[in-house]
Amino acid sequence: MSFWRLALRNITQRKVRTALTVLSIAVAVAVLYTLLSFNKGYAASLQQQLQRMGVHLLVVPPGCPYEAASLLLKGGKPPTYLREAVVEEIAATPGVQIAAPGFMSAIMHDDRTDIYYGMDQRTVALKNWWTLKPGGRWFTDGQTDGVVLGSDAAVTELVINEQTDLFTPGSELWVPELNRPLKILGILEPTGTQDDGFFYVPMAVAQRIFAQPGKVTTVAIRLDDPAQAGVIGAQLEKLDGVEVITMSELLGTQQRMMESAKLLVFAIVFIAIAISAIGVLNTVLMSVFERTRDIGVLRATGASKMHIFSLIWLETLLMTAIGGGIGLGLAVVGSGLLERAVVAGLASVKFLTMNEHSRLATFDPRIVVMTLLFVLGIGLVAGVYPAIRASRQEPIAALRTE
Amino acid sequence: MTTPILEARDVWRSYQRGAETIHALAGMSLTVQPGEMVGIVGRSGSGKTTFLNQVGCLDTPTKGTITLCGTDVTGMPEKELVAFRRDHIGFIFQLFYLIPTLTAVENVELPMIFARERDRRARAREALARVGLSEIHALPHQLNGGDMQRVAIARALVRKPRLLLADEPTGRLEHGARVAIMEIFRGLRAEGLGIILVTHDPTLAAETDRIIELRDGRIVDERKAG
Repeated sequence: MSFWRLALRNITQRKVRTALTVLSIAVAVAVLYTLLSFNKGYAASLQQQLQRMGVHLLVVPPGCPYEAASLLLKGGKPPTYLREAVVEEIAATPGVQIAAPGFMSAIMHDDRTDIYYGMDQRTVALKNWWTLKPGGRWFTDGQTDGVVLGSDAAVTELVINEQTDLFTPGSELWVPELNRPLKILGILEPTGTQDDGFFYVPMAVAQRIFAQPGKVTTVAIRLDDPAQAGVIGAQLEKLDGVEVITMSELLGTQQRMMESAKLLVFAIVFIAIAISAIGVLNTVLMSVFERTRDIGVLRATGASKMHIFSLIWLETLLMTAIGGGIGLGLAVVGSGLLERAVVAGLASVKFLTMNEHSRLATFDPRIVVMTLLFVLGIGLVAGVYPAIRASRQEPIAALRTE
Repeated sequence: MTTPILEARDVWRSYQRGAETIHALAGMSLTVQPGEMVGIVGRSGSGKTTFLNQVGCLDTPTKGTITLCGTDVTGMPEKELVAFRRDHIGFIFQLFYLIPTLTAVENVELPMIFARERDRRARAREALARVGLSEIHALPHQLNGGDMQRVAIARALVRKPRLLLADEPTGRLEHGARVAIMEIFRGLRAEGLGIILVTHDPTLAAETDRIIELRDGRIVDERKAG
């Protein structure tokens, strides 16, 4: 028998109490790990989405540019619009490779929101990773008919109408706002971004649906040299009635907003962890009181104060390590289920919309190590006081205990 | 001339109880030679267990000196005292004091864990065989009183101490078990161990070489046994 085994035997002396303590640690650790990994996953997903947009600058109407850009990126309805003529002025600016106008707005229904995105060939050029499902094609510039569906939008509509053959290229989509159908030209392959949820229509069609002729909501810009984003952005700011933001600024803003939410959630988790740490301390302390005579026996059979201190400390560490291990196992195995629940929950929050192709929870060994170190730290701290109490017991007094 | 295993000289142990000073031991002196078994008798509160605690290095005398195996342990620093106790003294208690979650063999291994010794399991088995216990994997509650005391004796002996301190070792045992335990003690005495046996049992005391009678922390009588 080793010192470790002795500690393990001791913590199994009161099985139910130990199990409950271990469970409380496991739950706290599972929540901590899940939040850390979700946070990392969402940040990575956000970064990926922004990078996949292939956009270096975004021109939006004046106002709060970050709010407007965030709304537009996630399919919200903009408060103001840009003049369509500004697109050509932007395109004429040296260093601008593509200036792709977009008109994005949403039609709210009782049970869903249809997001329309008016565009032309420049957007197709900008998003050169887009591919259509077999048999599909894009509308040509100047065309006033036709719609291309994002992969999720196609599925959503399919379910709503309970028709299985409606959304194939060549069929028609009825648009009440136009009082006429639009011919479905194609369906996008899944992209893993919010693009999957949109209805893509020619620019003129979108302007007509939302009664905003000659207006656009955004101009996405790809530069010849992304490093020039700051300089060219400053130049574009001089144009009348525009706000320019760089994608890195937008990413930073979104991350800062996430940080605020994260701080609040983490504060709650830390309170839960502190409570479980106090639970550990209480369990070990009770066990020390109950084993006073045993501790006296150990002293009489040759244990020093340091031996007793180490033994009690080790017992605490073992409990937290076992709880931590179980919690991590639960979190890693259960993260898939949680992810689906969270993605479904976020679907109703426009700014945080994720789609089914996004990975929210990320498995990262560093998070595993960090969580384990954290829980072991808790064990170290929670075990100090009971260990000191136990080691200070005088052997004679301990042996006299009934 | 052989070095005595124990030389206690004018040992006092006093406690304060409010304004009153209680002398649990009042100038107790005793020498124990190797291979000698000394019985200590006396009423409850006469100082028997207090004396065992002093010579067992579990407590420090208020006054006087205790020399164990030629080393004066009075005033020895705590760390050294623990090591000295571990290496030279074995304890046996009336209530056995086995750790309830450990098996018989694991209980015997305990002193060796703290001494960081190797071959613990083999040596624990050997010690249990020496006291005649075969159920080495039984938990204490699965053993009868006599067997529990055998385990306690094996635990006390496993590191080959020079001095064995037994506080009412047969106090809770039936006649058959008492006889068996005394047989073990006789064997240990023959091997050269110094044994101090605190007991209320006159039959057991009669098995020792010398009987010391205590009253109020003092020796009031000393006689040869048998």
